[in-house]
Amino acid sequence: MIDALLQGLSLVLQWNAFSLMLVGMSLGFVVGLLPGIGGAATLALMLPFVFKMSPVEAFAFLLGMHSVAATTGDITSILFGVPGEALSAATVVDGHPMAKNGEAARALGAALMSSLVGAVIGAAALAVSIPIVRPLVLTFGSPELFMVTMMGIACITSLSGQGRGAQLKGFAMGLLGLLLATIGQERQSGILRFDFGLIYLWEGLDLIPVLVGIFAIPEIIDLAARGTAIAGNAPATKLGSGVWEGIKDTFRHFWLVVRCSAVGVLVGILPGAGGGVAQWMAYAHAVQSAKDPADRERFGKGDVRGVLGPGAANNSKEGGDLIPTIAFGVPGSGAMAILLGAFLIMGLHPGPDMLTKHLAVTYSMVWTLVIANVITVIACLALLPYLAMVTRIRGSLIIPFLLLLVFIGSYTANRQLADLLVTLGFGAVGYLMMRFGWPRAPLVLGFVLGKLAETYLFISMARYGYAWLTQPLVLVLMALTALIIVFPYLQERRSHAN
Amino acid sequence: MRISGAVAFSAGLAVVAAYAVVTALRWPSKAALFPLVMGIPLLVLALAQVAMDWQAAPSENAPQDTPAAISILAWMAGFIALVFLIGFPLAVPLFILGYLVIQGREPWFLSLALALIAWGAFYLLFQELLHFPFDAGWLTGGGT
Repeated sequence: MIDALLQGLSLVLQWNAFSLMLVGMSLGFVVGLLPGIGGAATLALMLPFVFKMSPVEAFAFLLGMHSVAATTGDITSILFGVPGEALSAATVVDGHPMAKNGEAARALGAALMSSLVGAVIGAAALAVSIPIVRPLVLTFGSPELFMVTMMGIACITSLSGQGRGAQLKGFAMGLLGLLLATIGQERQSGILRFDFGLIYLWEGLDLIPVLVGIFAIPEIIDLAARGTAIAGNAPATKLGSGVWEGIKDTFRHFWLVVRCSAVGVLVGILPGAGGGVAQWMAYAHAVQSAKDPADRERFGKGDVRGVLGPGAANNSKEGGDLIPTIAFGVPGSGAMAILLGAFLIMGLHPGPDMLTKHLAVTYSMVWTLVIANVITVIACLALLPYLAMVTRIRGSLIIPFLLLLVFIGSYTANRQLADLLVTLGFGAVGYLMMRFGWPRAPLVLGFVLGKLAETYLFISMARYGYAWLTQPLVLVLMALTALIIVFPYLQERRSHAN
Repeated sequence: MRISGAVAFSAGLAVVAAYAVVTALRWPSKAALFPLVMGIPLLVLALAQVAMDWQAAPSENAPQDTPAAISILAWMAGFIALVFLIGFPLAVPLFILGYLVIQGREPWFLSLALALIAWGAFYLLFQELLHFPFDAGWLTGGGT
């Protein structure tokens, strides 16, 4: 195994593979900043270019691009409140308030360093777990996956504010998100739900326009209303000096970063759990790790732990995602399904061969994940003080560019002009939610998980009737879900008792 | 009696939930189950929030950011209208130029330079590098 590991490293460091990885990373860096063209879409666009490459070169190119996009998506989330990737939305919740407080560099430093730690943990998990993960993946059927989505939905209690009123609003928004996910053709009966006679709605609402509208547009309105730069009147000295502080934050909260990375790996391993789940579960875990309710109150207002959690999970998920893709040919996400196409183009068959005959190629993927992330973080750290300066540019200059980012991003996700209207509509709703104190994160979480939850519930019912409710793993996951729901209340009670 | 914005928002949410529930009742059980399971508690929670907002003292003055919010939303609607009419490639520089000159009150030279930079970056990334096919506008060949 050690031989194969070293051989994998030497393959990635060969000139052709390394230079192609750098080309892929440059592309990934640019598209990572755009909300619509995510890692998956770029993989699809670049797939035709790999025909003439060797397997190692092709995966260095594609994985280099994909892993960087996940990291740079955090940059726009923090600086502008515009999620660069659907998977970077959770970083907005605390990252952008940090930028508004003049701590953009610290937030970026924390996001990048936690991403690197997450990527290394994800890659390590990939390296060691392929031979042993098979039973876990095969144990998870529809009932267990339904319970995983329920665990994600249960995180709403942590994503809502404190107190009865805030919890009520959080649950209501979670339910609204789940309801919005039902728009479109129902898969079992073929009934069109809430389509208002529009063909556009038959497929349901797409995540990107909803996400970008809900998170980015209210921030742009806020910026226009304040009439200042993003960082407001924060002292200029504080702005660029926080990079090391952010890096130190990663190690100050190292176990949180490790735990959130583990969440990312686990969600990544489960095929069909969806990439959006990992970051929100990691964010919810970061909130739950608060010592007391007063400590918890800091989240959402610019707490660095709210950046570290999703940052780590986003990148560790990549390693986790690759595990079922390589080992069984079962893609864990849309991007991995496209990567599976690359396997076939290269004449490789995911499965036992990748663990025996092509083990060096498999390990070259592990090294690509690590090396690409290390290079990205070093490059970004060099650029960070300049990136953070963007938050000092006056609002009137930066707003039209942010609007371009938002609307081009929404359009390029599906090439649907109607998505622009959806973005604007959800932007207006998001602004009203912000103004009247309704939390936005539960709505997005409900929306992300709604379709998955309904699909897995129906398959479970059709396959097992009500018997799935008594399966041992389902019961364990149920207990965990209940724990996630009651934990904030227990924490509040304990704090009152003290 | 004046209804506060908070009450109106909560009531709007209740209306959405009620519509979802009433509509779902007409569907077969498979299609209706999930919307009903989500819609009914949402309706209850939204109505509870309406009651809570109603009892809370309404703020006398509208927040100061309302005119700015309406203005920026109008610019967004304008940009979308521009995209529908002339497509992204032309709408991008025109919007940047228009916004910077009219709303931002920036100097002409700077606005023009930034509009050209935005167009150049857009062209290089989407047309040259990614070959992304943007829809033409209704006035520039996309309409029927």
